[in-house]
Amino acid sequence: MKPSPQEQKLEEVLRSSKLVAGGFMGQDRRSLSEIVEEDQAALAHLRYTARQLAARMDAITRTAISGLGTWVAIDSLRQARVDEAKGSLPCPWPHAGRFAKRVTTLQRLDTGQTIQWSDLNIHMIAEHAFFEGKGSHFRIEPDEIVLMIF
Amino acid sequence: MFSSILITVVIVSSLSAGLAAILVVCQLLVANYGTCQITINGEKEISVQGGESLLAVLSAQKIFIPSACGGRGTCGLCKLKVLEGAGPLLPTEEPYLDSEERKNQVRLSCQVKVRNDLQIEIPPELFAIREYTCRCAEILDLTHDIKQFRLELLEPAAMEYIPGQYVQLRTPPYAGQKEEVYRAYSISSDPAQKNSIELIIRLVPKGICTTWCFQHLNVGDTVRFNGPFGDFHLSDTDKPILFIAGGSGMAPIKCMLHHMKNTGNPRQATYFFGANQVRELFLTDQMHEFESALPRFRFVPVVARPEEGKAWQGQTGLVTDAVRREISNAAECEAYLCGSPGMIDASIKVLQELGMNREHIYFDKFG
Repeated sequence: MKPSPQEQKLEEVLRSSKLVAGGFMGQDRRSLSEIVEEDQAALAHLRYTARQLAARMDAITRTAISGLGTWVAIDSLRQARVDEAKGSLPCPWPHAGRFAKRVTTLQRLDTGQTIQWSDLNIHMIAEHAFFEGKGSHFRIEPDEIVLMIF
Repeated sequence: MFSSILITVVIVSSLSAGLAAILVVCQLLVANYGTCQITINGEKEISVQGGESLLAVLSAQKIFIPSACGGRGTCGLCKLKVLEGAGPLLPTEEPYLDSEERKNQVRLSCQVKVRNDLQIEIPPELFAIREYTCRCAEILDLTHDIKQFRLELLEPAAMEYIPGQYVQLRTPPYAGQKEEVYRAYSISSDPAQKNSIELIIRLVPKGICTTWCFQHLNVGDTVRFNGPFGDFHLSDTDKPILFIAGGSGMAPIKCMLHHMKNTGNPRQATYFFGANQVRELFLTDQMHEFESALPRFRFVPVVARPEEGKAWQGQTGLVTDAVRREISNAAECEAYLCGSPGMIDASIKVLQELGMNREHIYFDKFG
Protein backbone atom coordinates (compact mmCIF):
# COMPACT_ATOMS: atom_id res chain seq x y z
CA MET A 1 0.00 0.00 0.00
CA LYS A 2 1.27 3.44 -0.90
CA PRO A 3 2.25 5.44 2.22
CA SER A 4 0.29 8.60 2.99
CA PRO A 5 2.08 11.99 2.84
CA GLN A 6 2.17 11.97 6.67
CA GLU A 7 3.81 8.54 6.68
CA GLN A 8 6.29 9.68 4.05
CA LYS A 9 7.20 12.74 6.11
CA LEU A 10 7.59 10.61 9.24
CA GLU A 11 9.89 8.18 7.45
CA GLU A 12 11.92 11.11 6.16
CA VAL A 13 12.35 12.38 9.74
CA LEU A 14 13.27 8.88 10.95
CA ARG A 15 15.96 8.52 8.28
CA SER A 16 17.34 11.99 8.91
CA SER A 17 20.32 12.42 11.23
CA LYS A 18 19.00 15.72 12.55
CA LEU A 19 17.63 14.38 15.82
CA VAL A 20 19.98 11.51 16.58
CA ALA A 21 23.33 10.52 15.10
CA GLY A 22 22.79 8.31 12.06
CA GLY A 23 19.01 8.60 12.29
CA PHE A 24 16.52 6.12 13.73
CA MET A 25 16.54 3.77 10.75
CA GLY A 26 20.27 3.01 10.50
CA GLN A 27 21.08 1.22 7.25
CA ASP A 28 17.74 -0.54 7.23
CA ARG A 29 16.15 -0.21 3.79
CA ARG A 30 12.81 -1.69 4.91
CA SER A 31 9.91 0.69 5.26
CA LEU A 32 8.75 1.78 8.71
CA SER A 33 5.66 -0.41 8.52
CA GLU A 34 7.76 -3.44 7.52
CA ILE A 35 10.12 -2.92 10.47
CA VAL A 36 7.24 -2.54 12.91
CA GLU A 37 5.38 -5.56 11.54
CA GLU A 38 8.43 -7.84 11.64
CA ASP A 39 9.34 -6.82 15.19
CA GLN A 40 5.73 -7.27 16.29
CA ALA A 41 5.75 -10.76 14.80
CA ALA A 42 9.01 -11.60 16.62
CA LEU A 43 7.48 -10.40 19.89
CA ALA A 44 4.29 -12.35 19.34
CA HIS A 45 6.43 -15.44 18.82
CA LEU A 46 8.06 -14.75 22.19
CA ARG A 47 4.60 -14.21 23.72
CA TYR A 48 5.20 -10.62 24.80
CA THR A 49 3.71 -7.32 23.73
CA ALA A 50 5.59 -4.11 23.06
CA ARG A 51 3.82 -2.46 25.99
CA GLN A 52 4.90 -5.26 28.37
CA LEU A 53 8.50 -4.81 27.30
CA ALA A 54 8.33 -1.05 27.62
CA ALA A 55 6.74 -1.28 31.08
CA ARG A 56 9.55 -3.56 32.33
CA MET A 57 12.25 -1.36 30.75
CA ASP A 58 10.67 1.70 32.35
CA ALA A 59 10.53 0.01 35.77
CA ILE A 60 14.23 -0.87 35.54
CA THR A 61 15.12 2.69 34.50
CA ARG A 62 13.05 4.18 37.36
CA THR A 63 14.87 1.95 39.86
CA ALA A 64 18.31 2.75 38.44
CA ILE A 65 17.73 6.52 38.46
CA SER A 66 18.08 6.52 42.24
CA GLY A 67 21.77 5.61 41.83
CA LEU A 68 22.49 9.02 40.21
CA GLY A 69 24.90 7.41 37.76
CA THR A 70 26.08 4.47 39.89
CA TRP A 71 25.11 0.79 39.57
CA VAL A 72 21.90 -0.20 41.31
CA ALA A 73 20.81 -3.80 41.99
CA ILE A 74 17.58 -4.61 40.13
CA ASP A 75 17.31 -8.19 41.42
CA SER A 76 19.68 -11.04 42.21
CA LEU A 77 20.53 -11.43 38.50
CA ARG A 78 20.70 -7.88 37.23
CA GLN A 79 22.17 -4.45 37.93
CA ALA A 80 21.57 -1.22 36.06
CA ARG A 81 22.89 2.31 35.87
CA VAL A 82 21.51 5.44 34.30
CA ASP A 83 23.61 8.11 32.58
CA GLU A 84 22.10 11.41 31.64
CA ALA A 85 23.29 14.13 29.30
CA LYS A 86 22.22 17.72 28.79
CA GLY A 87 19.31 18.28 26.47
CA SER A 88 16.28 16.32 25.46
CA LEU A 89 15.06 14.44 22.43
CA PRO A 90 11.70 14.92 20.79
CA CYS A 91 9.76 11.89 19.64
CA PRO A 92 9.97 11.89 15.84
CA TRP A 93 6.24 11.13 15.58
CA PRO A 94 4.07 14.23 15.16
CA HIS A 95 2.88 14.61 18.72
CA ALA A 96 4.13 16.44 21.79
CA GLY A 97 6.74 14.45 23.66
CA ARG A 98 10.25 15.27 24.78
CA PHE A 99 12.49 12.82 26.56
CA ALA A 100 15.57 13.34 28.70
CA LYS A 101 18.81 12.15 27.16
CA ARG A 102 18.92 9.29 29.60
CA VAL A 103 20.57 5.97 28.78
CA THR A 104 20.00 2.90 30.94
CA THR A 105 22.65 0.18 30.90
CA LEU A 106 21.42 -3.19 32.18
CA GLN A 107 23.90 -5.92 33.05
CA ARG A 108 23.20 -9.58 33.71
CA LEU A 109 25.43 -10.58 36.60
CA ASP A 110 25.52 -14.26 35.58
CA THR A 111 26.71 -13.71 32.00
CA GLY A 112 28.16 -10.20 32.13
CA GLN A 113 26.06 -9.28 29.08
CA THR A 114 24.86 -5.71 28.83
CA ILE A 115 22.16 -3.95 26.88
CA GLN A 116 21.37 -0.23 26.63
CA TRP A 117 18.25 1.76 25.94
CA SER A 118 17.18 5.39 26.04
CA ASP A 119 14.02 6.92 27.47
CA LEU A 120 13.00 7.63 23.88
CA ASN A 121 13.38 3.91 23.10
CA ILE A 122 10.92 3.09 25.88
CA HIS A 123 8.41 5.59 24.56
CA MET A 124 8.75 4.51 20.92
CA ILE A 125 8.35 0.85 21.84
CA ALA A 126 5.32 1.50 24.08
CA GLU A 127 3.50 3.94 21.82
CA HIS A 128 4.69 3.12 18.31
CA ALA A 129 6.01 -0.47 18.60
CA PHE A 130 9.18 0.87 17.00
CA PHE A 131 12.49 -0.75 17.96
CA GLU A 132 14.44 1.35 15.39
CA GLY A 133 15.98 0.15 12.15
CA LYS A 134 18.84 -2.32 11.93
CA GLY A 135 22.20 -0.57 12.20
CA SER A 136 20.90 2.42 14.13
CA HIS A 137 22.82 3.19 17.34
CA PHE A 138 19.88 2.40 19.59
CA ARG A 139 18.27 -0.48 17.68
CA ILE A 140 16.90 -3.03 20.16
CA GLU A 141 16.45 -6.62 19.03
CA PRO A 142 13.21 -7.96 20.53
CA ASP A 143 14.62 -11.41 21.30
CA GLU A 144 17.74 -9.97 22.98
CA ILE A 145 15.86 -7.56 25.21
CA VAL A 146 13.39 -10.24 26.29
CA LEU A 147 16.27 -12.47 27.39
CA MET A 148 17.89 -9.63 29.30
CA ILE A 149 14.98 -8.08 31.16
CA PHE A 150 12.68 -11.02 32.02
CA MET B 1 8.05 -3.60 -31.99
CA PHE B 2 11.22 -2.08 -30.47
CA SER B 3 10.73 1.21 -32.29
CA SER B 4 7.14 1.55 -31.02
CA ILE B 5 8.34 1.00 -27.43
CA LEU B 6 11.06 3.60 -27.99
CA ILE B 7 8.54 6.09 -29.40
CA THR B 8 6.23 5.50 -26.43
CA VAL B 9 9.10 6.07 -23.96
CA VAL B 10 10.11 9.28 -25.77
CA ILE B 11 6.50 10.56 -25.79
CA VAL B 12 5.97 9.77 -22.07
CA SER B 13 9.34 11.32 -21.14
CA SER B 14 8.56 14.45 -23.16
CA LEU B 15 5.16 14.80 -21.53
CA SER B 16 6.72 14.41 -18.06
CA ALA B 17 9.41 16.97 -18.84
CA GLY B 18 6.75 19.36 -20.16
CA LEU B 19 4.64 18.96 -17.02
CA ALA B 20 7.70 19.50 -14.81
CA ALA B 21 8.53 22.70 -16.72
CA ILE B 22 4.94 23.93 -16.26
CA LEU B 23 5.17 23.20 -12.51
CA VAL B 24 8.44 25.15 -12.22
CA VAL B 25 6.91 28.13 -14.05
CA CYS B 26 3.79 27.95 -11.84
CA GLN B 27 5.99 27.80 -8.76
CA LEU B 28 7.77 30.96 -9.90
CA LEU B 29 4.62 32.85 -10.88
CA VAL B 30 1.86 31.56 -8.62
CA ALA B 31 3.86 30.70 -5.49
CA ASN B 32 5.87 33.88 -5.64
CA TYR B 33 4.74 35.64 -2.49
CA GLY B 34 6.79 38.75 -3.21
CA THR B 35 7.96 41.02 -0.44
CA CYS B 36 6.17 40.66 2.90
CA GLN B 37 6.29 42.97 5.89
CA ILE B 38 6.76 41.47 9.34
CA THR B 39 5.89 43.77 12.24
CA ILE B 40 7.60 42.72 15.45
CA ASN B 41 6.15 43.71 18.83
CA GLY B 42 4.16 46.50 17.13
CA GLU B 43 7.35 48.50 16.58
CA LYS B 44 10.01 47.07 14.36
CA GLU B 45 9.19 46.31 10.70
CA ILE B 46 11.24 44.09 8.46
CA SER B 47 10.78 43.41 4.75
CA VAL B 48 11.41 39.85 3.66
CA GLN B 49 10.94 37.70 0.60
CA GLY B 50 7.92 35.45 1.16
CA GLY B 51 7.93 31.70 0.72
CA GLU B 52 10.14 30.54 3.60
CA SER B 53 9.19 29.53 7.13
CA LEU B 54 8.94 32.30 9.72
CA LEU B 55 11.78 30.63 11.68
CA ALA B 56 14.08 30.67 8.62
CA VAL B 57 13.14 34.23 7.69
CA LEU B 58 13.86 35.51 11.20
CA SER B 59 17.12 33.58 11.34
CA ALA B 60 18.19 35.24 8.06
CA GLN B 61 17.46 38.56 9.77
CA LYS B 62 19.75 37.51 12.66
CA ILE B 63 16.83 37.02 15.03
CA PHE B 64 17.47 33.61 16.58
CA ILE B 65 14.54 31.68 17.98
CA PRO B 66 15.52 28.59 20.03
CA SER B 67 15.05 25.41 18.00
CA ALA B 68 16.47 21.96 18.64
CA CYS B 69 15.24 20.18 15.51
CA GLY B 70 16.29 22.70 12.88
CA GLY B 71 12.77 23.56 11.79
CA ARG B 72 11.33 20.08 11.32
CA GLY B 73 8.37 20.66 13.59
CA THR B 74 9.44 17.97 16.03
CA CYS B 75 10.85 19.83 19.03
CA GLY B 76 8.13 22.42 19.70
CA LEU B 77 10.64 25.00 20.98
CA CYS B 78 10.26 27.75 18.37
CA LYS B 79 6.96 29.13 19.68
CA LEU B 80 6.02 32.74 18.92
CA LYS B 81 2.85 34.78 19.04
CA VAL B 82 1.60 35.46 15.51
CA LEU B 83 -1.16 38.01 15.88
CA GLU B 84 -2.04 38.40 12.21
CA GLY B 85 -1.40 36.73 8.89
CA ALA B 86 -0.43 33.18 9.87
CA GLY B 87 -3.53 31.43 8.56
CA PRO B 88 -5.16 28.49 10.31
CA LEU B 89 -3.32 26.27 12.78
CA LEU B 90 -1.66 23.34 11.00
CA PRO B 91 -2.06 19.70 12.07
CA THR B 92 1.72 19.60 12.55
CA GLU B 93 1.49 22.34 15.20
CA GLU B 94 -1.53 21.10 17.14
CA PRO B 95 0.27 18.52 19.34
CA TYR B 96 2.65 21.16 20.68
CA LEU B 97 0.18 23.86 21.66
CA ASP B 98 -2.09 23.74 24.68
CA SER B 99 -5.46 25.52 24.80
CA GLU B 100 -4.00 28.60 26.50
CA GLU B 101 -1.32 28.96 23.84
CA ARG B 102 -3.86 28.52 21.03
CA LYS B 103 -6.05 31.20 22.62
CA ASN B 104 -2.99 33.50 22.76
CA GLN B 105 -2.21 32.90 19.07
CA VAL B 106 1.03 31.08 19.77
CA ARG B 107 2.40 29.21 16.74
CA LEU B 108 5.43 27.11 15.85
CA SER B 109 7.51 29.53 13.81
CA CYS B 110 9.04 26.69 11.80
CA GLN B 111 5.59 25.66 10.54
CA VAL B 112 4.26 29.12 9.70
CA LYS B 113 5.08 29.99 6.11
CA VAL B 114 5.52 33.67 5.30
CA ARG B 115 3.01 34.25 2.49
CA ASN B 116 1.75 37.73 3.39
CA ASP B 117 2.28 40.48 5.95
CA LEU B 118 2.56 39.25 9.54
CA GLN B 119 2.31 40.75 12.98
CA ILE B 120 4.34 38.83 15.55
CA GLU B 121 5.55 39.13 19.13
CA ILE B 122 9.03 38.07 20.17
CA PRO B 123 10.24 38.09 23.81
CA PRO B 124 12.63 41.09 24.01
CA GLU B 125 15.49 39.01 25.42
CA LEU B 126 15.71 37.07 22.16
CA PHE B 127 16.88 40.24 20.37
CA ALA B 128 20.14 40.04 22.33
CA ILE B 129 20.89 36.67 20.77
CA ARG B 130 23.51 36.74 18.06
CA GLU B 131 25.34 34.25 15.94
CA TYR B 132 29.04 34.14 16.72
CA THR B 133 31.91 32.90 14.61
CA CYS B 134 34.93 31.86 16.63
CA ARG B 135 38.12 29.87 16.63
CA CYS B 136 38.70 26.86 18.82
CA ALA B 137 41.71 28.10 20.80
CA GLU B 138 42.22 25.34 23.37
CA ILE B 139 40.98 21.86 24.22
CA LEU B 140 41.73 20.51 27.70
CA ASP B 141 41.09 16.98 28.96
CA LEU B 142 39.39 17.29 32.34
CA THR B 143 38.47 13.62 32.86
CA HIS B 144 38.30 10.52 30.67
CA ASP B 145 35.02 11.78 29.18
CA ILE B 146 34.91 15.52 29.89
CA LYS B 147 36.79 18.22 27.97
CA GLN B 148 36.97 21.97 28.24
CA PHE B 149 36.86 23.95 24.99
CA ARG B 150 37.95 27.59 24.76
CA LEU B 151 36.45 29.47 21.85
CA GLU B 152 37.94 32.84 20.83
CA LEU B 153 35.27 35.11 19.39
CA LEU B 154 36.01 36.49 15.94
CA GLU B 155 32.74 38.02 14.71
CA PRO B 156 31.27 39.63 16.76
CA ALA B 157 34.47 39.88 18.79
CA ALA B 158 32.83 40.16 22.22
CA MET B 159 29.78 38.80 24.01
CA GLU B 160 27.84 39.97 27.06
CA TYR B 161 26.04 37.29 29.03
CA ILE B 162 24.67 36.59 32.47
CA PRO B 163 26.61 33.94 34.41
CA GLY B 164 24.53 30.75 34.20
CA GLN B 165 23.41 31.22 30.59
CA TYR B 166 24.07 28.82 27.73
CA VAL B 167 24.83 28.90 24.00
CA GLN B 168 23.74 26.65 21.15
CA LEU B 169 26.82 25.20 19.49
CA ARG B 170 26.59 24.38 15.79
CA THR B 171 27.78 20.97 14.70
CA PRO B 172 28.54 21.02 10.98
CA PRO B 173 27.96 17.94 8.80
CA TYR B 174 30.71 15.39 9.43
CA ALA B 175 31.39 11.73 8.69
CA GLY B 176 27.95 10.10 8.26
CA GLN B 177 26.19 13.08 9.77
CA LYS B 178 24.60 14.85 6.81
CA GLU B 179 22.95 17.83 8.46
CA GLU B 180 24.05 20.58 10.80
CA VAL B 181 22.55 20.54 14.29
CA TYR B 182 22.66 22.82 17.31
CA ARG B 183 23.07 21.64 20.91
CA ALA B 184 22.99 23.64 24.15
CA TYR B 185 26.03 24.02 26.44
CA SER B 186 26.40 26.25 29.51
CA ILE B 187 29.18 28.81 29.52
CA SER B 188 31.80 28.00 32.16
CA SER B 189 34.28 30.82 31.72
CA ASP B 190 34.99 34.03 33.59
CA PRO B 191 32.37 36.51 32.32
CA ALA B 192 34.97 39.28 32.59
CA GLN B 193 36.63 37.68 29.55
CA LYS B 194 34.43 39.19 26.85
CA ASN B 195 36.35 37.93 23.81
CA SER B 196 36.23 34.22 24.52
CA ILE B 197 34.03 31.62 26.17
CA GLU B 198 34.72 28.21 27.62
CA LEU B 199 32.42 25.20 27.49
CA ILE B 200 32.70 22.03 29.59
CA ILE B 201 31.38 19.12 27.55
CA ARG B 202 30.90 15.51 28.54
CA LEU B 203 31.06 12.90 25.79
CA VAL B 204 27.66 11.39 25.16
CA PRO B 205 28.22 7.97 23.59
CA LYS B 206 26.80 8.14 20.05
CA GLY B 207 25.83 11.79 20.56
CA ILE B 208 25.92 13.94 17.44
CA CYS B 209 27.49 17.09 18.82
CA THR B 210 29.74 15.66 21.51
CA THR B 211 31.18 13.08 19.10
CA TRP B 212 32.06 15.93 16.76
CA CYS B 213 33.60 17.95 19.61
CA PHE B 214 35.65 15.01 20.89
CA GLN B 215 36.69 13.34 17.63
CA HIS B 216 36.58 15.95 14.87
CA LEU B 217 37.07 19.42 16.37
CA ASN B 218 40.67 20.60 16.51
CA VAL B 219 42.44 23.66 17.84
CA GLY B 220 42.38 26.32 15.11
CA ASP B 221 39.06 25.20 13.62
CA THR B 222 36.30 27.70 13.00
CA VAL B 223 33.23 27.17 15.17
CA ARG B 224 29.81 28.83 15.22
CA PHE B 225 27.28 29.20 17.99
CA ASN B 226 24.34 31.40 18.86
CA GLY B 227 23.28 32.75 22.20
CA PRO B 228 23.20 33.59 25.01
CA PHE B 229 20.04 31.85 26.21
CA GLY B 230 18.48 30.97 29.54
CA ASP B 231 17.33 32.48 32.80
CA PHE B 232 19.43 30.43 35.25
CA HIS B 233 21.34 33.08 37.22
CA LEU B 234 22.15 34.21 40.76
CA SER B 235 19.46 36.16 42.56
CA ASP B 236 20.09 39.56 44.15
CA THR B 237 19.40 38.40 47.70
CA ASP B 238 21.95 37.83 50.45
CA LYS B 239 20.71 34.35 51.35
CA PRO B 240 23.39 31.68 51.80
CA ILE B 241 23.88 29.71 48.59
CA LEU B 242 23.96 25.96 48.09
CA PHE B 243 25.39 24.93 44.73
CA ILE B 244 24.84 21.29 43.77
CA ALA B 245 26.22 19.87 40.53
CA GLY B 246 27.72 16.80 38.92
CA GLY B 247 29.76 16.14 35.76
CA SER B 248 29.50 18.89 33.14
CA GLY B 249 26.95 20.57 35.43
CA MET B 250 30.10 22.22 36.81
CA ALA B 251 29.97 24.74 33.92
CA PRO B 252 27.38 27.36 34.96
CA ILE B 253 28.36 27.11 38.64
CA LYS B 254 31.99 27.83 37.79
CA CYS B 255 30.89 30.82 35.73
CA MET B 256 28.83 32.11 38.69
CA LEU B 257 31.82 31.66 41.02
CA HIS B 258 34.02 33.73 38.67
CA HIS B 259 31.33 36.41 38.77
CA MET B 260 31.13 36.29 42.58
CA LYS B 261 34.89 36.68 42.76
CA ASN B 262 34.92 39.56 40.23
CA THR B 263 32.22 41.44 42.10
CA GLY B 264 33.48 40.67 45.61
CA ASN B 265 30.17 38.98 46.41
CA PRO B 266 30.18 38.37 50.18
CA ARG B 267 27.44 35.72 50.22
CA GLN B 268 28.07 32.49 52.06
CA ALA B 269 28.22 29.66 49.51
CA THR B 270 28.76 25.90 49.68
CA TYR B 271 29.33 23.91 46.51
CA PHE B 272 28.56 20.17 46.60
CA PHE B 273 30.05 18.52 43.51
CA GLY B 274 29.26 14.85 42.95
CA ALA B 275 31.35 12.28 41.08
CA ASN B 276 31.21 8.50 40.86
CA GLN B 277 34.91 8.03 41.40
CA VAL B 278 37.90 10.13 42.40
CA ARG B 279 39.17 10.10 38.80
CA GLU B 280 35.96 11.89 37.75
CA LEU B 281 36.68 14.96 39.87
CA PHE B 282 38.12 17.92 37.96
CA LEU B 283 39.06 21.59 38.36
CA THR B 284 39.50 20.99 42.09
CA ASP B 285 42.55 23.30 42.20
CA GLN B 286 40.50 26.10 40.69
CA MET B 287 37.74 25.46 43.23
CA HIS B 288 40.28 25.75 46.05
CA GLU B 289 41.46 29.04 44.51
CA PHE B 290 37.87 30.25 44.76
CA GLU B 291 37.91 29.22 48.41
CA SER B 292 40.93 31.51 48.91
CA ALA B 293 39.38 34.40 46.98
CA LEU B 294 35.89 34.07 48.47
CA PRO B 295 36.29 33.76 52.26
CA ARG B 296 32.75 32.45 52.78
CA PHE B 297 32.90 29.87 49.98
CA ARG B 298 33.42 26.15 50.63
CA PHE B 299 33.92 23.43 48.01
CA VAL B 300 32.69 19.96 48.98
CA PRO B 301 33.59 17.24 46.46
CA VAL B 302 31.59 14.05 47.03
CA VAL B 303 32.63 10.69 45.59
CA ALA B 304 30.05 7.93 45.35
CA ARG B 305 32.44 4.99 45.19
CA PRO B 306 36.13 5.86 45.65
CA GLU B 307 38.39 3.46 43.76
CA GLU B 308 40.03 0.77 45.85
CA GLY B 309 43.50 1.86 46.85
CA LYS B 310 42.80 5.57 46.35
CA ALA B 311 43.38 7.54 49.54
CA TRP B 312 40.16 9.57 49.47
CA GLN B 313 39.66 11.67 52.58
CA GLY B 314 36.58 13.58 51.43
CA GLN B 315 32.86 12.97 51.54
CA THR B 316 31.53 9.71 50.16
CA GLY B 317 28.15 8.52 48.91
CA LEU B 318 25.64 10.32 46.74
CA VAL B 319 25.85 14.10 46.55
CA THR B 320 22.41 14.29 48.15
CA ASP B 321 23.67 12.22 51.12
CA ALA B 322 26.39 14.82 51.71
CA VAL B 323 23.88 17.68 51.51
CA ARG B 324 21.71 15.93 54.09
CA ARG B 325 24.72 15.41 56.39
CA GLU B 326 26.19 18.90 56.06
CA ILE B 327 23.30 21.34 55.82
CA SER B 328 21.34 22.35 58.89
CA ASN B 329 20.06 25.78 57.77
CA ALA B 330 18.38 24.89 54.46
CA ALA B 331 15.31 27.00 55.26
CA GLU B 332 17.50 30.14 55.15
CA CYS B 333 19.31 29.23 51.92
CA GLU B 334 18.84 29.36 48.16
CA ALA B 335 19.93 26.44 46.02
CA TYR B 336 21.35 26.44 42.49
CA LEU B 337 21.43 23.02 40.85
CA CYS B 338 22.88 21.86 37.57
CA GLY B 339 23.01 18.30 36.38
CA SER B 340 20.96 15.35 35.29
CA PRO B 341 17.20 15.37 35.87
CA GLY B 342 17.67 12.47 38.31
CA MET B 343 20.20 14.38 40.38
CA ILE B 344 18.11 17.54 40.35
CA ASP B 345 14.89 15.76 41.31
CA ALA B 346 16.70 13.96 44.15
CA SER B 347 18.29 17.22 45.31
CA ILE B 348 14.97 19.09 45.30
CA LYS B 349 13.41 16.32 47.38
CA VAL B 350 16.21 16.40 49.95
CA LEU B 351 16.31 20.20 50.12
CA GLN B 352 12.57 20.39 50.70
CA GLU B 353 12.81 17.72 53.38
CA LEU B 354 15.49 19.87 55.02
CA GLY B 355 13.06 22.80 55.05
CA MET B 356 13.97 24.77 51.94
CA ASN B 357 11.17 26.65 50.22
CA ARG B 358 10.64 25.28 46.69
CA GLU B 359 10.66 28.86 45.37
CA HIS B 360 14.26 29.22 46.50
CA ILE B 361 15.48 26.31 44.42
CA TYR B 362 16.77 27.26 40.96
CA PHE B 363 18.06 24.75 38.48
CA ASP B 364 19.42 24.18 35.01
CA LYS B 365 18.09 20.73 34.27
CA PHE B 366 19.78 18.74 31.54
CA GLY B 367 16.34 17.68 30.36
